[in-house]
Amino acid sequence: MSTPDEHRQPLGEGGPALPNEPEGLTAGGSPLPPPAGGADAHDPVGADGPEAGNTPGAGTAATEDDGWRRLHPLSVWASTLVAGAFLVPGAIVATVVLVIAGQPLWALAPVPGALAFLALMTYLDLLRLRATRYRVTVERMEVRSGIIAKSYRSIPRERVRSVDVAAPLYARVFGLCSVTVGTGEQVGAGSEQLQLLYVTAEQGEWLRRELLHRGASRTAGATAAGEDPAPGDDGGIEVELARLDRRWFAFAPVTTATVGVGLGVIATLLGANAQSNGAPWRWISDRANLPSGEEMASFVVGQILLVAPLTLLGLLVSGVLVVTAVAVETWWDYRLTREADGTVRLRRGLLTSVSLSVEGRRLNGVTLYEPFLLRSAGGADVRAVATGLGAADDQKASAKSRLSPAMPRELARGLAADLMRTQDSPLDVPLAPHPRAALRRRLTRAGYATVLALVLAGVLAWLHTLASEAWWEAAHEVEEYIMPVPLTVRAVESAPGWGWAVVAVLLGAAAFWYAVGSYRGLGHGLHPRYLVVRRGMAVRRTVTLERAAVIGWRITRSPFQRRLGLADVAATTAAGEGMYAAADVGLGEGLAWADEAVPELLEPFLVRGGGGPAGGPGVPDPR
Amino acid sequence: MTTDAPRLRPPHHRVDRRAIRWWTTRSLAVTVVLTAIPLVPAIIWEPPRAWFLLATAVVGGVGLLITVLMPQWRYRVHRWEVTDTAVYTSSGWIWQEWRVAPMSRIQTVDTARGPLQRMFGLSSVTVTTASAAGPIEIAGLDHVRATEVAEQLTETTQATPGDAT
Repeated sequence: MSTPDEHRQPLGEGGPALPNEPEGLTAGGSPLPPPAGGADAHDPVGADGPEAGNTPGAGTAATEDDGWRRLHPLSVWASTLVAGAFLVPGAIVATVVLVIAGQPLWALAPVPGALAFLALMTYLDLLRLRATRYRVTVERMEVRSGIIAKSYRSIPRERVRSVDVAAPLYARVFGLCSVTVGTGEQVGAGSEQLQLLYVTAEQGEWLRRELLHRGASRTAGATAAGEDPAPGDDGGIEVELARLDRRWFAFAPVTTATVGVGLGVIATLLGANAQSNGAPWRWISDRANLPSGEEMASFVVGQILLVAPLTLLGLLVSGVLVVTAVAVETWWDYRLTREADGTVRLRRGLLTSVSLSVEGRRLNGVTLYEPFLLRSAGGADVRAVATGLGAADDQKASAKSRLSPAMPRELARGLAADLMRTQDSPLDVPLAPHPRAALRRRLTRAGYATVLALVLAGVLAWLHTLASEAWWEAAHEVEEYIMPVPLTVRAVESAPGWGWAVVAVLLGAAAFWYAVGSYRGLGHGLHPRYLVVRRGMAVRRTVTLERAAVIGWRITRSPFQRRLGLADVAATTAAGEGMYAAADVGLGEGLAWADEAVPELLEPFLVRGGGGPAGGPGVPDPR
Repeated sequence: MTTDAPRLRPPHHRVDRRAIRWWTTRSLAVTVVLTAIPLVPAIIWEPPRAWFLLATAVVGGVGLLITVLMPQWRYRVHRWEVTDTAVYTSSGWIWQEWRVAPMSRIQTVDTARGPLQRMFGLSSVTVTTASAAGPIEIAGLDHVRATEVAEQLTETTQATPGDAT
C-alpha cells in the first residue's frame, strides 16, 4: 500500500544525479510480478548475449545503461580460495596421519580428492556466476539466479531499507565485496533480502549509494508530518557521529563470554576426549611422561590454594585474549556517519570490512544495550531499531543491528541522542516505575525457584546418604576414563550432605536479587517524538521507538496479570524486533501511556472512569 | 490518569455462535489424537500397561476438561470490531490478547477457511501489518460476514493513505 509518489521534492545540493524518473512510477509498490523484461524474461543465460560481455566489472558506467550485469568473475576464485584454505591443509594433515598410521595406499587419496572436490565446487560456482544477473532500474532492483531451479527476484527500490556491503579478507584481496540489500518486507523468509556474491568494491559502493539515494529523495515528503526539520545535518556533507576510541576495547572482555570461552574450550576438549574413550589424553600423557590422573588429582588437592586461583586466572586471561581479539576484528576502524541524504552509515572491521547503510528515516529508534557485567562497569552499546535490518535468525539480526562497540555509557547515550537527532535525548526522559505488583510477581517467581532448588537439594542430599561405596567407585571409574584429572566425584563424595542445601540457599538468594534487579529495570516513558521502554536484568535494554513508527498495539494478560491488575502493553512496529513491550505495567497506566504515545489510535476503544463495563449487558469486562 | 485510569472496552461484535462448536470439535480432535498416543502401546504391550493407561487417562481427562471449558470461555472473550480508522480484536482464553491496528498500516486482508471451519460455515479474517508481531486474526466469523468484513477492510484500507510501514 504505497502512496503515489506525489511529494517528491528536488534535493538540494549534494542530491543524487539520478536519471530522469517518471513521476508516479512507484504507485502500487507491492511486490507484484515484474514488468515483462522483454527477452530477459524467459532465459537469463541465453538472453545475455550482447550485454554479457558488457563491462561486468565497471561500476561507474552503470548509471547509463540499465542492462543486466553480472557478478565479478573473480568471485569464483575468492570462493575457491576460501574452500581451498580449509580443504588443502586438511587433506595434507590427513595424508600425514595416514602415512604415520601405516596406510600409504590410502594416503594417496586425500589430496587428489580434495583437489577434485575443489574443482567441482569451482565449476558449480562458475555456473552460478554465469547464471546470476542483477539489474537496477528506475523502479526496482532485480536479481536472477539459479542453475537448475531458476529464480527471479525483484524488489521495488522504494522498499530498500538497508544496504550492507561486506568485504571479508578473501574477497578483499581480489578487490571484491558482497552486497546485501534489506527490505522491510516481512513476507516469506527468503524474499526479505537480496544478496550479491561478489561484485567489485566500486560497484558495491555504487549500489549502496544508488539504492539508498532513491529512498532519500522521498524522505522530505514522508517525514514532513514529524516535527523534525533537522536542517543543520543536511548541509551536504558527511557528519561523523562516532569514531573508534581504542580505549573502548577495555570494555570488550567485560562479558560473561570471557570466562565462557575458556570453559567452552575445556568442555569441548573434554567432550572430544570422552567421545574417543579418553585415548587422546592417554596418548599425550604417555608421550609427555605425565603422572597418572590419580597422582595429579592428589597433587591438585594438596595444592588447592595454588591451583584453583591459577586455573581461574588462566581461564580469565585466555578468555580476555579471545574476546578482545574478536572485538578488535569486529570494530577496528569503526566509524559511524550520517551522510548528506540522512543515510546512517556504519563502517568497521579489520579482516572483514563491513559497511552497513540504513536509510535515515528507517532508523526508527535505538536500543541502549547493557548486559549485566558491562552495566556494572559503566559501559553500554547502541543498537538500531530499524526497518530492513532483518536477517535469517534473531541472533544474526541482533548482531547486525549493532551500531557501536561497547563504550562508556555516557558516550553511548550521547551517540543514541545524535542518532535520533533530538536536542533532549529520549533516553533522558524519566521513566515511570511499574507497580509494586510487578515486583511481587517477580519475587513469587524467585520464591518458586528457591523452593524448587531446595527440593532438589533435599533429593540430592538424600541420594548422597543412600549412595554406597560401590556406587562412588563406579562413578569414579567412569570419571577416570574420561577426565584427565579426576576430581569431581571425589570432591562430591567428600562434601557433606548439607553442602547441597548451601548451594540451594545461594541459588535462592541469587534468584531474589535477580527479581529485585529485574523489577528495577522496568520502566516506560514518553518523549515528544519517541516512546521509551526499559526492561531486563541479565541484559537491560532501553528501547526508544519513534511514535510515528508504531503500527498498532498488542495488550496481553496472563491469569496472574489479570489478578494483579497488570498487563504487557506492546507497540507493534515494522522496525527491529517488530514489537516492543512495557512489561508488567499497570493496566490503566499502560493504556494511558499507549494512548498518549499515539493519539487517536487507542482512544475509541478505551473507557474511562470507574463505571461498569460499557459494552452492554452480557459483555465480559476485560478488567 | 490517577483518577480515571482508562480500561479497554470489549470490541463490539462477538464471533459467530457456531464457533463454539468449531472450537469444541477442534479440541476434541486434538484430544483424541493425543490420547491415542499412549493408548496404542497400552493395548499392544502387556507389562507397562498400567502406566500407559494412566497416561491415557491423564491426557484424555485434561483434554476433555479443556474441550468442555475452552470453547465457552473463548466465546466470551473473542470479539472484534472494525471502525473507519482501526481494527480492534480480543482473543484468547487463559492468556488473553487485545490487538489494535490502524487502517493506514494494514498491508493485506485475507479470508481463510479450513475444512473444519467450512463444516460449520465459518471463516477467518486475517489482517496483516508490517510488524513481526504476527497478523491479527478474527477467527470464527460467519462465512458471508467474513467476506463482507474483508471487503469493507480492503475498501477502507485503500481509501486510507499511508505506506503500511
